Amino acid sequence: MKKLFTLMLALVLTLALVGCSGGDNTPAAEQSDVQKVIAEAQTMTLEELAKKAIEESSGKTVYGLGNSSRGKSALPLFIEYLQTIDPSYTLEFEWQQPKNNKIFDQLTADGLKDTGTFFMTLIQDGNQIESKMVQTGILDTFIPKEWAEANGTTPEEYTGYLPLQTLNKIFEYNCVNPDKNYTNCWDFVAEGEHGLFMGLESEPVGKNFLMMLTNDTYSAYLKEAYDKLDATKQAYFKATVDEMAKDAEELGLGENGKYALAWIKLWVNSFNEQTDDGPICKTLVDASAVDKFGLLVYSKVRSVEETDTVSVNNLKVAAYQPGYEGIGGYGYCHYLFVTDNSPYPWTACAFIAYMTETVDGFSAWGKDIGGYSSNPEVAKGTEEKYHHSTGESSNVATDTTKDRGLDWWVNDGKLVIEDPVYCSSVAFTVGSWIETLDHYKPE
Amino acid sequence: MSKSTKVKINSIKTYLSKPQNIILILTGILVTFTTIAPIVAIIRDTFQIHPGTIDQYLTGKASGYSFANYTDLFTSKLAKTNLWTPLLNTTILAIGSCTFAILFGGIFAYLITRTNMVFKKYLSSIFIFPYIMPQWTLAVVWQNLFNSNQVTGTSNGLIATLFHINMPAWWCVGLFPCIVVLGMHYAPFAYILIGGIFKNMDANLEEAATILDTPRWKIFSRITIPMVKPAILSTILLVAGSTIGSYPVPHYLGLSTLATKYVSMNVKYTGEASIIAIIMMLFGVAIMYLNQRSLHSRKSYTTVTGKSGQITKVNLGAGRYVIAIVFVIITFFTSIFPIISFAFETFLPNPGDYSFLYSGNTDNLTTKWWITSENITENGMYGQMGILYNKTIWTAFRGTILVAIICCLTAGTIGTLIGYAVSKNRRGKLASYVNSMAFLPYLMPSVAVGAAYFILFSSGKINLFNTYLALVIVGTVKYIPFASRSSLNSMLQLSNEIEESAIIQDIPWIKRMTRIIIPIQKSSIVSGFLLPFMTCLRELSLFMLLCVQGFILSTTLDYFDEMGLYAFSSGINLILIVTILISNFAVNKITGASLDEGIGG
Repeated sequence: MKKLFTLMLALVLTLALVGCSGGDNTPAAEQSDVQKVIAEAQTMTLEELAKKAIEESSGKTVYGLGNSSRGKSALPLFIEYLQTIDPSYTLEFEWQQPKNNKIFDQLTADGLKDTGTFFMTLIQDGNQIESKMVQTGILDTFIPKEWAEANGTTPEEYTGYLPLQTLNKIFEYNCVNPDKNYTNCWDFVAEGEHGLFMGLESEPVGKNFLMMLTNDTYSAYLKEAYDKLDATKQAYFKATVDEMAKDAEELGLGENGKYALAWIKLWVNSFNEQTDDGPICKTLVDASAVDKFGLLVYSKVRSVEETDTVSVNNLKVAAYQPGYEGIGGYGYCHYLFVTDNSPYPWTACAFIAYMTETVDGFSAWGKDIGGYSSNPEVAKGTEEKYHHSTGESSNVATDTTKDRGLDWWVNDGKLVIEDPVYCSSVAFTVGSWIETLDHYKPE
Repeated sequence: MSKSTKVKINSIKTYLSKPQNIILILTGILVTFTTIAPIVAIIRDTFQIHPGTIDQYLTGKASGYSFANYTDLFTSKLAKTNLWTPLLNTTILAIGSCTFAILFGGIFAYLITRTNMVFKKYLSSIFIFPYIMPQWTLAVVWQNLFNSNQVTGTSNGLIATLFHINMPAWWCVGLFPCIVVLGMHYAPFAYILIGGIFKNMDANLEEAATILDTPRWKIFSRITIPMVKPAILSTILLVAGSTIGSYPVPHYLGLSTLATKYVSMNVKYTGEASIIAIIMMLFGVAIMYLNQRSLHSRKSYTTVTGKSGQITKVNLGAGRYVIAIVFVIITFFTSIFPIISFAFETFLPNPGDYSFLYSGNTDNLTTKWWITSENITENGMYGQMGILYNKTIWTAFRGTILVAIICCLTAGTIGTLIGYAVSKNRRGKLASYVNSMAFLPYLMPSVAVGAAYFILFSSGKINLFNTYLALVIVGTVKYIPFASRSSLNSMLQLSNEIEESAIIQDIPWIKRMTRIIIPIQKSSIVSGFLLPFMTCLRELSLFMLLCVQGFILSTTLDYFDEMGLYAFSSGINLILIVTILISNFAVNKITGASLDEGIGG
């Protein structure tokens, strides 16, 4: 039997290795067919792109892939728009939303085909996008002409990926106990505090947030907030800040790097890991969650229904409170890309332009608070249509659900904005350092 | 043509004239490819450099091969976190779950088969419910029961709210709840395997001991227990293999195991995650080795003569009611309460919001999770439509039924043929090889098998990610052992003379199978088809790497659970449970076979 087994194993090994060979991903030296389409598409208006899309995909089926399920809601609106140009236009579609980081595996696997399955993607996590998708040539960036113009630039001048929207994850706390307030971002890492937060491994944008804190801009925010703490609190944090000075130097961080590392260390040592933002929101709005806080996506609060023990009034947004100091949360983007082997590149470009250039195209996301179009004109139109600043779009209108908009969040709320290139550059220095930190477990 | 060549050709012709030999050759090739090819692919992956991951950073190369993943996994600062602690936790979890399952299931089996306890029929049926339910749903029920603001830092669960009792952290998260939940889930395994032996065992030995005035405890420990030792060993092997590969329960209850590490490390440590999968597979190989050894050792238990069909029932006296009531209460919490809890969840206004229980106000109940037919208005539904109108759920339901039916037909057919062919050549090397290779995937942890196939199916040549074909192939390979074991056991009971008499009358093989062999062993064979179907319906660990949510019900259920949308996950759970019960009932009515007759073959 041993001989038989050995023989079979040898046979399969040989065949499997032969079968697997040739799967390596080598970036194309020349422009691919899709890149040529993109170059042309970047000179065209939405209407011109729509006509190209109608020629290309009428009667066909497209497959989209995204971190957000709402691509599925945006596609029918896109089809309706194309039908205003050509009423006979039809398009079948399927939208997939992988979880647990599988989107990268799926795109990598699909990228090995000559003609891929997915015509475009909506994807988050700038760090992995840069290292796994862009540098490997799996995804191509398309910058719509009118989107660039709205942002005061041109497709040629603009560098970076195309963001559909910025989403914010913000510090929110249960306010059933009126004596408990968080007035400084360092309060969230104080002794005995255990913020509810998604695991760094299950949602890598959370890790990107921590890595971004070491960027000079954001470490300066932390230093400023630290300086505004009273002497007792400063004394408590000082030991950790001093302890981090050496690590900050070894990691090549700026002068305030030690404040960033101290905050990160205390946060990783203390946060209470949850599977998703949904359960975090569910916990915080409950009357029993006294003195609890979390760092969660803002839009979750929109769907809370008032009952005897659950209420949005049990929740406060830390950054909205008068006198609050320091970072109010972090922002990350949903980026749009055309796959380099897209079966329908013109349709992909038209769909991307539609989502980023029109209020209707963005409405699948725009109808909720906490998601901000990257196109200032669309952002303005969305606010006019849905009145997020008054809380009308949420189940219950309270101070908590009155969204103050991206400008406020970036400037006053000191949102930490993800920079894919920075994250990618420190992923194996700061990122690996973060992995060595101990995680909190309830005792 | 020389004489020796003619002799060889003739001997080959003679060999191939027997259908069982052709079956062995074909299935031998099939199981070799389906078992070894993914293993080879995953081994290769451990050496491959993956862009954007640690191996690229360590080697400075964007492609090619290196030992960097091995060096880093075993020697870096993170070795304890990424490897040794999860390895230890996995081992303890496997041992703990086996012990729990055997004690719980074994005691229950003894009480059902060897005592005069009351309510046997009800208890026997209800006891297998935790096996029918997806395993992590019990973990979610555990959280909803025992979480508390004070200990787990979340909102209060039912126990904390109603009784103001805060269970300690070791009870709420980590090893203990994982052991209990997996132990409860697999206790039906132990019940069926051990119960089967208790039910059919020869009472002569015990009666002889009784005549010799041997104390009852001594009869139990020296005669009864040794007789069920093979069943206990089988349970250990099957449960250990399953718990090692369980992803969702440790994931929900906060335990770092090899399976959870495989998933979490895939982001940045892709190659190292593949090494983790190989380590899990080595567990499977070790279990198979132990299985082989235990099979040999079973020769010493052939004291069961089959000459005595009478089993003496132990009279429990008044205890027959007391013990039964204790088990009615226990099974209420393990089997009935979760279903009630699922049903209630679908009527709560917010996920986990039991306001109506605390306030008595029925306004705190809603039917919105079932009947909301649009997702434009903000209905407190997180952008989803109600279960009855939710296309994602019903598409996934159809996908699950499709995969389960095809898997049950293919795994059942191939497994039955393997069982038949092996039984006809049971001393042959090829038969032994086919039997072992077909059984190996079952002993390999599900996450590891899924991971291996994910890598195999994600290449330029074979690209089956997120296709039903991929799920069917993997499901078939994983579940062939259900049918092959069931079939082999039943075929071995069948005398060769029956088929030989048909051969003498020149009846073709197909006719012999369909008119004689299959009808005689119908019950066992149907069990071999039924089990892949049932298991497929609620399988997550095996399929989670091969498709996205919305593709099948288990991944959709897991998605909603992770998102905290318990109304949807509970609704899906109810759909699954009802489907399994209807299927079991239908098959039972049509063929006479049922789930509790077939588990573990």
